[in-house]
Amino acid sequence: MRKLTCRLTVLILGIFLMGIAAGPAAIAADKFPSKPIELVVPFSAGGSTDVMARLVAKFAPKYFDQPLVVVNKPGGGGITGTEGVVRSTPDGYSLFVGYGSGHDLVTPHFQKLPYDTFGDLVPVSRISVHSIVAVVRSDAPYKTLKEFVAWGKKKDQVTAAVSTKAGSVDITFQALAKASGVKIVTIPFKGGADAVRTILGGQTDIGGNHPSEVMSHIKAKRLIPVGVALEERDPSLPDVPTFKELGYDVVTVGSVKGVAAPKGTPPEVVKYLAERFKKVCEDKEFIAAMTEIGQPVMYQGPQEFGKYLKDGFNTYGKLIKEFNIKME
Amino acid sequence: MAKWNKIAGCVLFCIGAVTAWSAATTLSMGSFRHPGAGFLPFGLACILSLLSLPLVFGAGKETGRAAAFWPERAWARPLQGSLALFAYAFVLGLLGFVLTTFLFMIGWTRFMERLSWQKVLFVSAGVTAGLYLVFVWFLGVPVPVGFWKQ
Amino acid sequence: MGELFGIFQGLADGFGIAFSLNNLLFALLGALLGTMVGILPGLGPSATISLLLPLSFKIGSPVSSIIMMAGIFYGAMYGGSTTSILVNIPGEAASVVTCIDGYQMAKKGRAGPALGIAAIGSFIAGTIGVIGLTFVAPPLAEFALSFGPPEYFSLTLLGLLMATLIGGDSVVKGLIMVVAGLLMGSVGLDPISGAIRFTWGIHMLQEGIDFVTMAMGLFGIGEILFNLERVLKTNLVTQKITHLWPGLKDWADSKWAIIRGSFIGFFIGILPGGGAVISSLASYAVEKKVSKNPQEFGKGAIQGVAGPESANNAAASASFIPLLTLGIPGNAAIAMIFAALLIQGVTPGPFLISEKPDIFWGVIASMYIGNAMLLILNLPLVGVWVQLLRVPYSILAPVIVLFCCVGVYSARNSAFDIWVMGVFGVIGYFLRKLDFEAGPMILAFVLGPILENGLRQSLLMSAGSPLIFITRPISGSLIAILVFFILTQVVYRLTWKKPGAPSGC
Repeated sequence: MRKLTCRLTVLILGIFLMGIAAGPAAIAADKFPSKPIELVVPFSAGGSTDVMARLVAKFAPKYFDQPLVVVNKPGGGGITGTEGVVRSTPDGYSLFVGYGSGHDLVTPHFQKLPYDTFGDLVPVSRISVHSIVAVVRSDAPYKTLKEFVAWGKKKDQVTAAVSTKAGSVDITFQALAKASGVKIVTIPFKGGADAVRTILGGQTDIGGNHPSEVMSHIKAKRLIPVGVALEERDPSLPDVPTFKELGYDVVTVGSVKGVAAPKGTPPEVVKYLAERFKKVCEDKEFIAAMTEIGQPVMYQGPQEFGKYLKDGFNTYGKLIKEFNIKME
Repeated sequence: MAKWNKIAGCVLFCIGAVTAWSAATTLSMGSFRHPGAGFLPFGLACILSLLSLPLVFGAGKETGRAAAFWPERAWARPLQGSLALFAYAFVLGLLGFVLTTFLFMIGWTRFMERLSWQKVLFVSAGVTAGLYLVFVWFLGVPVPVGFWKQ
Repeated sequence: MGELFGIFQGLADGFGIAFSLNNLLFALLGALLGTMVGILPGLGPSATISLLLPLSFKIGSPVSSIIMMAGIFYGAMYGGSTTSILVNIPGEAASVVTCIDGYQMAKKGRAGPALGIAAIGSFIAGTIGVIGLTFVAPPLAEFALSFGPPEYFSLTLLGLLMATLIGGDSVVKGLIMVVAGLLMGSVGLDPISGAIRFTWGIHMLQEGIDFVTMAMGLFGIGEILFNLERVLKTNLVTQKITHLWPGLKDWADSKWAIIRGSFIGFFIGILPGGGAVISSLASYAVEKKVSKNPQEFGKGAIQGVAGPESANNAAASASFIPLLTLGIPGNAAIAMIFAALLIQGVTPGPFLISEKPDIFWGVIASMYIGNAMLLILNLPLVGVWVQLLRVPYSILAPVIVLFCCVGVYSARNSAFDIWVMGVFGVIGYFLRKLDFEAGPMILAFVLGPILENGLRQSLLMSAGSPLIFITRPISGSLIAILVFFILTQVVYRLTWKKPGAPSGC
């Protein structure tokens, strides 16, 4: 009886397994793309990179033959999700959105990453640049950066709300401190949203954010943008001078938001993707939607994008060295 | 119970001490005015060790339970349960969701609860199928499929 | 007067929009999904909403998608309470407090009244919350903005102290649990210094221990392991299941708890990050303090369910306020809704009410409807859930374990998390054996990071001076309440003890 029960169990197990295990076989196709493409955002849903990726995915069906699906893989300040793409199969179905963010351009100057940012990833397209803009409350005793500096010089220290420790915003403000001679203490928070809330409430004297994070507050006249840390003015904030114009030689590329594929992705695939992303970036509705939320559409193709990133990386490196910025 | 309170106290004391040492050696302390990463953990670990001392020295409240801590090998079934759980975690990647869940249910209902084989098979198959339907089919949760599918 | 009229006009318009068949269906769908999500472990409301984001723009209308998402958000709250009461597993941090008395009630055969009063209390609280939202949203939102790091520190400290009040007679053991919880909260990346703490190189620990993993381990697995000691021949409930609904006495006992909880939840819940947890704690503490039978708390006092449940639902309504009036999301699920709106070209903020009144009022109206819908959905379900408890434990136990395993796995696609849950299960088992309370530990775990960040950010702001906590008015008041609280506790302990009692701590 026991033997029968045993055999019965094995039989049932076998049938069960075959039933479930006979899943859909992988369809190997030769034309790219033959299945949906994954856009991996290594940050949590709802953030500016995520919103951008979703907007791209929203307009993609007009230009891509397969849908783009946004997947969030937050963790490690962006490193976890990016590493996932680095290690995935380089077939063009898993792309990293957000190439050029803080963890790509700033963090490697301070610590070693589990992958090579430039060697293990292939740039596909630049979609937008999220510059770093300094904002103050509209009822603060200073309305321009120069006024702020003058005010700050009289104090022991002034406080600046930044999104993450040793992120692009933090570094920029530390550099600004050295360039202007004001002792700026950067207060790190857990992400942009917390930092915006803090400066909105006037808890700190100044805040550093990306335009997309503060656009609605600028429009509501609660926050005044006093400077951007870019080479040239940010298209989404054309009236805001750059730090350089104001005499403080702090220039960064902000947080670049582009698309990357793992090393080894076939060049035809990269070409296809780049062309389609370009079409999306030229779509009038896409541009309107992005501008509305403060994300300027600034497309670049693979080669230019790659160069832009390298330059950006070096710029941060120079800034860190010149102003002797440390991560405690 | 009093004896076990003492043991708990000792264990907690050690945990506190080790954590404090780990915090002090690997993390920067900062100062009172500018606490570093290790400041609070170190302080908390010290407080933990301090708080465990009353337990060690027999101050744990006497509960109504004068009964033995583990009457009659009462630890056996919880131990089996824990081991089953750890085994599940370990085997999940190897054999995939369906098989591991099925085996888990068989193991539990047969060897721990001693139900009859019919019940065991029926319930195990049913539960596995049910969980599969809810989590994999309906919610689309990606589950491991075992080494043969990779 | 004209303003009041404007509000009523807006509401009327909003109800018109919300009552359209389409939107009613979306509300129902959201509520259903949310309830399921709240009950099934692992998948939280924010994860669900993010999964549905692509769907939301296929729906086309921003009002409809936000109605659905609000439904999910509320539904998850309701569902989370269900698991807390039935199987002692908190769906999210705001439901931890419900476990304490809710589960005890279930074990006494009173799961029906517990679930029922939770549903009714949540409905009333949600309604009060929405009324509040309608009338006092803008000034409250401003008030919320004035909470900076020092205020968060003081508030969280107060919350932690209230957490020690939860269950258990031994103060030492309660404090140990809180300290242990705080330590666990420090595992992972430290946002202030960027240092990585206590991970021993394990990659998965870099983000810290996951709440769901810890909650399921400590509460769910721990409870099962503990129950395994005795061979439960039948089912979980030790006493006969008497009534399915809350009785008149239950209602009489709870009604003030519900009112108090609603107001506490509404005002504290508006604070971004941690508002809901602290409000449920505060409600429990208040109920215990004003009760004529405080010793009942921890053993199945219905006020211990009615109060916190109302609080966390009112907090859920209140958490929409910063979003709708200022454009600041207060928690992960609201942030998702924020993103969904952005993608559809709607920018929540101060102009929302004037530029897109249909969305603003439509959402508020749908919250009323959503709450009503959830009540209608959940009350009949009470009977179903209670039946579930009658499944023989020999089958129920492994099923719950499996639910936890899959739930935990699905959060981060990692079997490692199942390991961690198992470890917490063993810890939870020993905690029960040794008369330690797991509640304060997990609450401290959730509040700890807020506390520490608040402390260090404040000290950075004040250049090292701890006076900042007292000189700022709100923080100062909170500290004053804290001191008062400690003093009353000390006096209470000293005077309540009869001379000659064993020196319990």
